[in-house]
Amino acid sequence: MNLKELKATSLKPLHVNPLKLSQPMGATLAFLGIKNCMPLMHGAQGCASFTKVLFTRHFNDPIAIQTTAVNDITAVIDGGDKGISEAVENITKKVTPDLVGLFTTGMTETKGDDIKGATLLLKEKQKMVYVHTPDFEGGLESGWSLSVQNIITQLIEPTTQVRKDKVLLIPNVNFSPIEVEKLKEALECLDLVVFALPDLSDSLDGHLGVKQGALSSGGISVSDIEKLGDAGAVITIGHSVKKCGELFYEKFPQSTHLHFDSLIGLEATDDFYAKVFEFLQCKSVPSVVKRWRARLQDVLLDTHFTLGKAKILIADEPDSAYAISKALREAGSTCEAYIAQRSEIQEAFTCKMQIGDFEEVEKRLPEMDMLIANYHGERLAHKHHKALLIRGFPNYEQVGIGLRYNILYEGSCAFLCEVNNLLAYH
Amino acid sequence: MVNRKLIKDLLNESACSHNKTKKASCDKPKPGATSGGCAFEGAQISLFPYADAVHLVHGPDTCLGASWETRATLTSYEGENNTPLGYCTNVSTQDIIFGGDKKLADALAYIVEHKNPKAIFVYETCVTAMIGDNIDFTCKTAEELFHIPIVPVHAPGFVGSKNLGSRLAGEAVLDALVGTREPESIHPFGINLIGDYNVTGDMWQYKPILERIGIKVISSLSGDGRIEQIQMAHTAKLNVIVCAKSLVTLCRKMQERYNIPYVSVSFYGKRDTSNAIRSIVNAFGDAELSAKAEAIIAEEEAKLAERLKPYFLMLKGKKAILNTGGNKSWSIASALQDIGIEVVATCVQKATEEDVAIASEYVPIVFKNPGVEQPKLIDEHHVDILLAGGRSLYTAIKKRIAFVDVNQEKKVSYGAYGGLENLASDVCSALANPVFKLVGKAAPWELV
Repeated sequence: MNLKELKATSLKPLHVNPLKLSQPMGATLAFLGIKNCMPLMHGAQGCASFTKVLFTRHFNDPIAIQTTAVNDITAVIDGGDKGISEAVENITKKVTPDLVGLFTTGMTETKGDDIKGATLLLKEKQKMVYVHTPDFEGGLESGWSLSVQNIITQLIEPTTQVRKDKVLLIPNVNFSPIEVEKLKEALECLDLVVFALPDLSDSLDGHLGVKQGALSSGGISVSDIEKLGDAGAVITIGHSVKKCGELFYEKFPQSTHLHFDSLIGLEATDDFYAKVFEFLQCKSVPSVVKRWRARLQDVLLDTHFTLGKAKILIADEPDSAYAISKALREAGSTCEAYIAQRSEIQEAFTCKMQIGDFEEVEKRLPEMDMLIANYHGERLAHKHHKALLIRGFPNYEQVGIGLRYNILYEGSCAFLCEVNNLLAYH
Repeated sequence: MVNRKLIKDLLNESACSHNKTKKASCDKPKPGATSGGCAFEGAQISLFPYADAVHLVHGPDTCLGASWETRATLTSYEGENNTPLGYCTNVSTQDIIFGGDKKLADALAYIVEHKNPKAIFVYETCVTAMIGDNIDFTCKTAEELFHIPIVPVHAPGFVGSKNLGSRLAGEAVLDALVGTREPESIHPFGINLIGDYNVTGDMWQYKPILERIGIKVISSLSGDGRIEQIQMAHTAKLNVIVCAKSLVTLCRKMQERYNIPYVSVSFYGKRDTSNAIRSIVNAFGDAELSAKAEAIIAEEEAKLAERLKPYFLMLKGKKAILNTGGNKSWSIASALQDIGIEVVATCVQKATEEDVAIASEYVPIVFKNPGVEQPKLIDEHHVDILLAGGRSLYTAIKKRIAFVDVNQEKKVSYGAYGGLENLASDVCSALANPVFKLVGKAAPWELV
């Protein structure tokens, strides 16, 4: 990219067709992965309403969320504690949450509310975690990560004990609910006891419950979170949550931190099993793992004719765009990526990559064969007659998003085949 | 700047029937017990259908990032359709410290240079209201520079509900656009359509019928609307409010300023559509026009009856319960009755007093507590189908009756005569679908 182009994109005074989703939205999802939790967004009612509508349409499931409904008067005269305590009072009138996850928005950060103080004042009444997530900083991934970091520092009880067979798994926000479950199963298969934080695998996986409650319908329980301190290992997937693992390790140095930037593709999965087997000093590899690796080898060869010639444009959250581009490059594809927010993973990309919006994406699209993006990519792919794979948030039109599984050897097979077939039948 | 006096006036609207006993919808939202959108969302819903204008949101990215390209408001505009596009200044920490006016001015210049729109709406949000950006000044300066209307919309989320935001958007249009352009000639039967956003093309179900009668739609706020047309809205002879209470203030003010009377109508179902056409035509008091309208109504109703025949066989005598909000609590009930369904009861939990009164005329039972009353009513009246929001799906599954989600984003229009056939088809599909009985079936290990 020449200097003039660089100047034009980085100095663009606005987003046209934004790719970015906000920090409070990431925080919402994180708290929905905790059982009987009420995510409480500290801001005007619209922030929570927009978030609720987006995730409801994305997951096709009810979304628990409440708001402190700050108005133009309380925005000035209240330091936050009155609105927050009133909100908690009104919530607990109707339901009994095990946890209230309190997080801020741009407006309440601009006025500088003391949410820590407000939480302390309510300590006797309601168990809470507070997180600062202004929407003028970061994005979906950082909102999720900051929430997990604060859950770790505020909830997990100190301990010096360690259970070697207990694992804390921290997925990044891009994991689908079923991917969390599959990863838990893969580790359980190695005789480990696994707790995912957050755990969307039974809260937003789209199961038919007995009735619809006002709180999150599943996830890791608060008492399990409190007792996570003795986990022998913390596994983080995705650069956005690396800090969570580091924080956990700092607090509980008797554990081991295993970090992976990606779990899609042969090399990423090989790296995962290599490190996990080393940690477990495991000699016998489950035969199902061996079988799926061999299948992925075959899939790579079967798909390389089509994928090897394909030019693919990816527009997604940083961790997801990184993982997808890495996996496609294994089969020989030429990739370019636009990511939603700044991230340290930028350094690791092996293809051309920029921060951008869909206006920039559209400019590059004519030269590509396929677009991988969220729902908003549909109109563009259609307009420019390109193959389309929908990934990321939001995905309004498709169903079964919570059940889609693209990680480890097995999921990578499904992913490569899907991309191949979309390109071939386009 | 947010105009507090205007907001107070809007909340005390004299044309609102409920202004004697204040309704909860006009109160400040309660922390921890609030659902529904903010004022910004209301403004967005009301104005985004103007496809020939760019809609620039001045704020951080929750406001627009989550909401662009979400509403199926269709347009026939031939230029670049701006409705499904999202423009946002995406204010950052730096902007909050040093002020966002410069960024806004740059963004406006960028839009004019690259998009060449007919107008730009600039939406104030909580953060930019709070840091005191001088949006009015920046817009005025840019307007003088670029010679297109640049309209500030002062409806930051925290001033109130979606409904209030729609009203504020109406005020912005009234003050900045209406009356700023004169037409070549004035049509004797010109109307403005107010409050229909042409979701899934609802407006196109009845607009051609009105035109055949001899009525001209001068402008629309805002379904399939155009900036140049709304600028000439003051030359219409009648304002027609379509299923929307929020823009009644705008209509009252246009009556005061331009002497334009208004009627409030609904285009759901056969009877309501015919009545709507009659109230529009009657407002002109022209015998020839009325006669033509009656002829066309008769013709359309006959055509519809023919098309609905196959559905009638299946729907006749079926019993339904309706659980939705606002004017839908009676307008959809009326449409269901038109296709031969017996509506046993309708929920009025989220309806205004006026809506409750109308609903009682259409439906024998109105109820307020769906959690308790809905399952009871289903059993007592042997109801066949429940039409409600997703929350009630569990009730339908438990009772093993058919279910139609009426609150979900609809994919086809239910408006006017043509839409009634779509509704009939959807209800028939639900009744014929075995899925509701199947998923309610016990698992093999639960059987004794």
